[in-house]
Amino acid sequence: MPTEPKQRALAPVLTLALVLCASPICATQAVASDDAGKKKADEACAACHGAEGNKPITPETPRLGGQEYGYLVQALNDYRKGTRDNPVMSAMAKPLTEKEIRELAGYFSRQQGLTTKR
Amino acid sequence: MTKRGGLLVLTVATALVLSGSAWAGGDAVRGKARAQMCEGCHGITDYRTAYPQVYPVPKIGNQEPAYIVKALQDYKTGARKHPSMRGIAATLSDQDMADLAAYYAGEPRK
Repeated sequence: MPTEPKQRALAPVLTLALVLCASPICATQAVASDDAGKKKADEACAACHGAEGNKPITPETPRLGGQEYGYLVQALNDYRKGTRDNPVMSAMAKPLTEKEIRELAGYFSRQQGLTTKR
Repeated sequence: MTKRGGLLVLTVATALVLSGSAWAGGDAVRGKARAQMCEGCHGITDYRTAYPQVYPVPKIGNQEPAYIVKALQDYKTGARKHPSMRGIAATLSDQDMADLAAYYAGEPRK
């Protein structure tokens, strides 16, 4: 198959990536960013969405605990850009950096709460 | 009040109470029957929208029922823009939305 040499060339790179990710350096970064996400979530989001995004204060406020990471990133970016409109969320999302958005989305996506119901 | 008048008042009052409770809570059984149109995307773990942007569809199991109704209303009015969701929400009545919200919300929040 024509793709085989390319796959073989990729193998060491993938192995290295796996080894690095399993190493304490990578683990420490993951924990650090989770802490940052939790800190920011407790400061900025918990007042309306509740602890771990699971106890919203009004019926129309969504739960965030367990939500898809990519959906949360999309929603925050849409609020930031103004393509999704909500006076409170637009104001909350405007000052966020892309790093903060990733940290918040990561934190909420790792909590229990929402499910894929079928 | 005549006996007949009393019966009429009772019937109207019962209908109001029943319709009121159906709106407030929605009917999860009717919602389940209506949810077929949702499951093709929201019933698949890590399913991604393909248009206009690629990102995972949100999980809606255990979501707040009033938020689900608001999201569907916002799609119906065009306040929220996703094309597939706008198309689907346009076909839903207020009662359908309440029923779907009741089905997806699961147990009431303590």
